Amino acid sequence: MTSPLHPPVSTGPPGRRAAALAVVVLLTGGCTVANSGAAADAGTVQIVLPEEPPTLEPCDASLTATGRVVRSNITEPLAERVPETGELEPKLATGWKRTSPTTWRFTLRKGVTFHDGTAFTAKDAAFSIDRTLDSGIECNVDGYVFGDSRITASAVDATTVEVTSKEPDPILPLRLSFVEMVPTSTDADSRVREPVGTGPYRIEKWNQGINLRLAQYGSYWGKAPDYKTALYTWRAEGSVRAAMVSSGEADVAVGLAPADGAGDHAVEYPNNETSYLRMDADKPPLDDIRVRKAINYAIDKKGLVASVFAGLGKPAGQLVPDGVTGYNPDIKSWPHDMKRAKSLIAAARADGVPVDTKITIIGRNGIYPKAAETMEVVQNELREAGLDVKVKMLDVNAWTEYLLRPFPKDAGPTLLQAQHGNQAGDAAFTMEQIYGSKGAQSSYGTPGLDRRIQRAEHAAGRERQARFAEALAYQSKKVVRDAVLAHMKSIIALAPDVSYKPDSASGDEMHLAEIHPAG
Amino acid sequence: MLTYLRRRILSSAIPLLVVVLGVFFLARLTGDPANLYLPLSATQKMREAFSAQHGFDDPLLVQFGDYLAQLAHLDFGESLRTAQPAAEAVLRAFPATLQLAGVTLLLAVAGAVVVGSLAAYRPNSPADRIASFLSSTAASTPDFWFAIMGVLVFAVTLDWLPTSGTVGSAAWVLPVATLLIRPFGVLVQVVRGAMVTALSEPYIKVARSKGAGERRVIFKHALRNAGAPTLTVAGDLAVGLINGAVVVETIFGWPGIGKLMIDSILQRDFAVLQAAVLLTALTIFALNLLIDVCYVLLDPRVRQGAMA
Amino acid sequence: MSTHEKEAGATGRAGLLRLLAADRMATAACAVLLLVGLCAVLGPPLLGDLAREQNLRAVKLRPFSTGEGWEFVLGSDSLGRSVLARLVVAAGTTLSVAVPAVVLSLLIGSVWGMWAGFHRGWRENVSMRIADVILSFPSLLLAVVVLYVFDPSIANLVAVLAIARIPVYLRTARAESAELRGRLFADAARTFGSGNWAIVRRHVAPIVLPTLLTVAAVDFCFVMLTESSLSFLGIGIQPPDVSWGLMVAQGRAELRNAWWTVVFPGLAIIVTTVAMTVLANWARIAGDPAQRWRLTTPKRGRTPRGRGSVPDSAAPPPGRPQPQQTGSRERTAKGTSHGEAPRQEQP
Repeated sequence: MTSPLHPPVSTGPPGRRAAALAVVVLLTGGCTVANSGAAADAGTVQIVLPEEPPTLEPCDASLTATGRVVRSNITEPLAERVPETGELEPKLATGWKRTSPTTWRFTLRKGVTFHDGTAFTAKDAAFSIDRTLDSGIECNVDGYVFGDSRITASAVDATTVEVTSKEPDPILPLRLSFVEMVPTSTDADSRVREPVGTGPYRIEKWNQGINLRLAQYGSYWGKAPDYKTALYTWRAEGSVRAAMVSSGEADVAVGLAPADGAGDHAVEYPNNETSYLRMDADKPPLDDIRVRKAINYAIDKKGLVASVFAGLGKPAGQLVPDGVTGYNPDIKSWPHDMKRAKSLIAAARADGVPVDTKITIIGRNGIYPKAAETMEVVQNELREAGLDVKVKMLDVNAWTEYLLRPFPKDAGPTLLQAQHGNQAGDAAFTMEQIYGSKGAQSSYGTPGLDRRIQRAEHAAGRERQARFAEALAYQSKKVVRDAVLAHMKSIIALAPDVSYKPDSASGDEMHLAEIHPAG
Repeated sequence: MLTYLRRRILSSAIPLLVVVLGVFFLARLTGDPANLYLPLSATQKMREAFSAQHGFDDPLLVQFGDYLAQLAHLDFGESLRTAQPAAEAVLRAFPATLQLAGVTLLLAVAGAVVVGSLAAYRPNSPADRIASFLSSTAASTPDFWFAIMGVLVFAVTLDWLPTSGTVGSAAWVLPVATLLIRPFGVLVQVVRGAMVTALSEPYIKVARSKGAGERRVIFKHALRNAGAPTLTVAGDLAVGLINGAVVVETIFGWPGIGKLMIDSILQRDFAVLQAAVLLTALTIFALNLLIDVCYVLLDPRVRQGAMA
Repeated sequence: MSTHEKEAGATGRAGLLRLLAADRMATAACAVLLLVGLCAVLGPPLLGDLAREQNLRAVKLRPFSTGEGWEFVLGSDSLGRSVLARLVVAAGTTLSVAVPAVVLSLLIGSVWGMWAGFHRGWRENVSMRIADVILSFPSLLLAVVVLYVFDPSIANLVAVLAIARIPVYLRTARAESAELRGRLFADAARTFGSGNWAIVRRHVAPIVLPTLLTVAAVDFCFVMLTESSLSFLGIGIQPPDVSWGLMVAQGRAELRNAWWTVVFPGLAIIVTTVAMTVLANWARIAGDPAQRWRLTTPKRGRTPRGRGSVPDSAAPPPGRPQPQQTGSRERTAKGTSHGEAPRQEQP
C-alpha cells in the first residue's frame, strides 16, 4: 500500500462506512503481509534490531534507532570520533583548522559522490549544516548536540567550508561530527524518510513494518565493504532476537540482555551508558550530605553488578566512562559499607534531620535489563540503613516528568533511577545539563560546581580534560548529588559466520563496513 | 431487515463520536509528548517550537475542532514518531491483524464446536472432564510462554519453523497457534455449557422420540440453540483479536495494529492512536452489527421484532 | 414457579455440599480454591518478611533441592528470594485485585445486561452502544490516564480492569435475557402480576448466570495476567509488593535460564483458573434441576426429589417433574422450516 487508503470519513452515515471500510481492508489485506523479503544469499548480512527505525532522516541520527542504521552506512559526517581514542578522524573532510576563536575551516574530500550520482561539494556541506541547525524541521541532532549555540556555515570554494559560531567553541568539529551530509536536492523544509547520502550503502527497499534492505553503493569513495547487501529486520523480544541467530535467520542480533539466552553467540561490550540514582538534594532529609553519603555507602554496587546485572557492567563512581574527555580515573566507586551508612544516618538523626521522611524511588521499567529488580535491591539496602523508602516504577513519559524541569511539585524527596549515555565523548554533554544548577535534568547544583563546569567548557585540549576531571571530582566529594551505580555493558549476538568487534559506539552507530565474513 | 440495518447503523454514529472524542481528550491527559520526542538536552525554546508546530499550545477545544475539520477532509494527521500520515501506518498494520484474527477465530470456532459438542454429549463423562480440563488449562496459559517455548522448540531445536516474521506460510503456524489457545479454551467451555443445557431441552426429547438420528439431534437442533451464547462470546473474542494480539505481534514481529496502538499510547503518538482507534472502532461496530444480524437469523422471534 | 424455588431451597446447603462431595473434581477444585484463599489470608503475616528477604549471594537456586532449607524448595529468584514464600504472599495481592475486578464487572455487567435485554427498546440500544464504546476503547489508554490524573492505587487498578471487562458480561447477559424475555414463562409471570425485576431475578437470572459464571471463571486468568502489564506502567501493584502476574511478567525474561521463577507463578494462575472453571461447570449442573441428577449418577436415591432410576445416558430421565419446564427451559425450536420440534411463536 503505497498511497494512503482514504476511508470515506466525512460522507454518509458512519456505520455504513464501517462496513465498507472493513470490506476494503479485508480485500486489500490479502497481499500486504506475505509479499516481502526473499531468503538471503551469501552476500547479505542480516541484522535484527529491537525496533524499526522510526525514520532514516539523517538529522535525527542522534536517535539510537535511526542512527544505528543511518550513520556511516547511508550518510556520512565530515569527521567521525574514534571510540577507542576519543580522537576525531577525517571522513568527508580531510582536515580542519581553527582560523579564529569562533571560526573553523574544513577542507573536503575530493571525488565523493552521492547515491544519486551528483558530486559532494562545499555547498552540500553548508546546506546540510544549515538544514540540521536552522531549518525549523526540529532536527533531533540540533537539540542533542547544539542546544542554543548559533552556528552558520558557508562555502568558501568547491572544497572548503567555513563554520562560524557566535561564542567560541573549542569542540565545534566534535559537534559537527553529528551532522550527516546530504545533497542540496534534499527537502529543506520537511524531514525525509529515505535520504540520499554518500555512504557505502544506499537504501534499496524499505518494506515498512517488515524489513529494510540496503545495497552496496558502487561508486563509494572508500574501500568497498564485504557484504553486497544488508537486511535489517526488527523484533521487540530479546529472546527471539537471540533465537534468530541460533536458528540461522540472522547474523547479528542487537541489544540483548543476559537472560535472552544468546549462549555462545553472545559478545559483551561496554555501551557508553552509566546507571545512577539522582537525589533531590534540596529536600529533607536528602538535603543533608551525610544522608546522601550514607545512601552511597549503603548500595552494594559490586553485588548489584555481579547478581542482578549478571556481571554486565562495572561499578562506577562518575557519570562518564573512560574514553570521554573529562573522565577522572581517580574517582572510584563508593565502597559498600553498611556500618558507616548506618552511623551517618544516626548522626544526621541526632542533629534533627528528619531521616524518617518517606523517600520515593522513581524508577523506569526497561531503562536497562532488570530495572525493577535493581530498584528493589536498592530499596532493601536503604531500608536496612535506616531510611524509609518506597518504589514507584513508571513508564517512560511519566518518568520523564520527574527527570526534566520543571519537576512535579509536592513529589517529596525522590531518588530517580536514571541512565546517562555520553555519545559525543566530551563531558560538556554531561555536566551542565545534569549537574548545573539550571540544567534540564538537574535537581540540584552549587555555585562552586557551576563555576568549575563553565571554566571547563571554555577550555581546550589537555586543559579541558583536567578541568572537567576536577569538576567531576568536586561533584563526587563535595556535592554528592548522585549515587552512581555502574558503567553498563550490552550484548550482541554474532552468528559463527560473521566477525564484528563491537565498541562503545556500536549501540548508536553500527558500521556495516566493519562486519566481515568470518575466517 | 433493511430498516433494522439502517437504524442500527445510524444509531452507531453517536457512540463512534464518543469514542473519537474520548480518545482525543484522554490521550491529551497523558503528558507532554515533547518530553519523548525532543532530546533531553533540548532548550525551552525548542520545546515551545515543538508545541507550536504540532498545535499542542492551542486550547484543547481548538485542537479538537482542528482535528474534526481535518477528519472532514480525510486527513488523519501525521505521526509524531515517523512524520508519516497516520492513516498510512494504520492501514498498513490493520490487514495483518485482520488476517491473523480471521484465521485464528475460524479455527477456534470450528475446533470448539466439535470438542465442545462431544464433551457435552455425555456431561461429566471422562471425555467431558478431560476436554473441560484441557480447555480451561489452555484458556489460562500465559500466551508468551507458549510463544517463547514454541520458538525455542520448533524454530531453534527442531528447526521446523521460522522463529518469527511474516515471510512464507510456515511463519503463520506459531503466531496462530499462540493466538488460538485462549479463544479455543474459552469457546469450548461456552459451547459445552450451552450444549449441555440445550441437550436437555424438551424439544430435543421430542426430536429423539420422533426418531431423529443422534447426529441430527446434536448438530441440527441442539447446536442451533447453543448458537446464541457461542456467537456472543465468539464476538467478544473477535473484538479482542481485532484490538490486536499484542503479545503475538511483539514476539513474532507481526506488523499488526495491536502493537501499533500500544506503542502509540506509550509514545504519545496521538494522531496514530486516534486513527487506529477510529478504524478498530469502526470494525468492532461493524462486527457487532454482523453478530446482531446473525442473532436475527438464528432466532425468528428476534427477526420479527427487528422487522417490525 | 415458586414451587421450584421452594424445592431448591429445601434441597438446601446440606444437599449442595453432599452433591459437591460426590464429585471428585469439584471437591478437588474447592480444595484448591480454599488453599489459595488460605494463602491469601495467612501468607502475608506469616511469610511476608521471608518473601522480601533478598540474598544476592544465592540467586536463582534451582528448585526441588532441599540443601538450602524448606523455603527454597521451589528455588529462589534473581534476587535470591524464596519463590515459595513469594508465591504464597502473592496470592493475597493477586486475589485482592482479581476477585473485586471480576466480581464487579460480573455484577454490573450481568445486572445491566439482563435489565437491558429484558426491556429491549431504547434501553437495550443505548446499553449496547455503550458496550461498543468501551470495547473499542484501548484499556491501556485508560490505565495511562488513571496513572496521570489519579493517584495510582489498587482501587484504580481494579476500576480499570472492571470497566474494561464489563461489556463482556453486559453483552452475554443481554443476549440471553432478550431471548428469554420472549418465552412463555415470562409472559405467564407477567400475567400473574410479577414485577419486572422479580421476573428478571426469579426467572431470567438463574438461566443466564451459568454462562456468565463460565465466562467469569476464565476471565480470572485474563485479569491476573493483565494486571501485571498495568503494573509495568506504574499503576497498581508496585514492588516490593508482588502478585502472580507481576512474578510472571518479571520472570518472563528468565524463561530460558531460570524457568522456575516464571513457571510456578504461571502454574498458580492456571491451577486457580482451572479450579474456578471446574467449579463453575459443576455449579451450572448443580444449579439446574434438570441436570442435577448427573452429578449423582451411580448412587440411587440421592437424586433430588428422589428420582427413581437414573439412566446412564444423555437422555434425560423419563419422570421429569413439570416445574422445571416452566421454571427453566422451554425453548422453541428455531427455524421455521422443520416441524419435528414443538413451536411456540410469539403472538
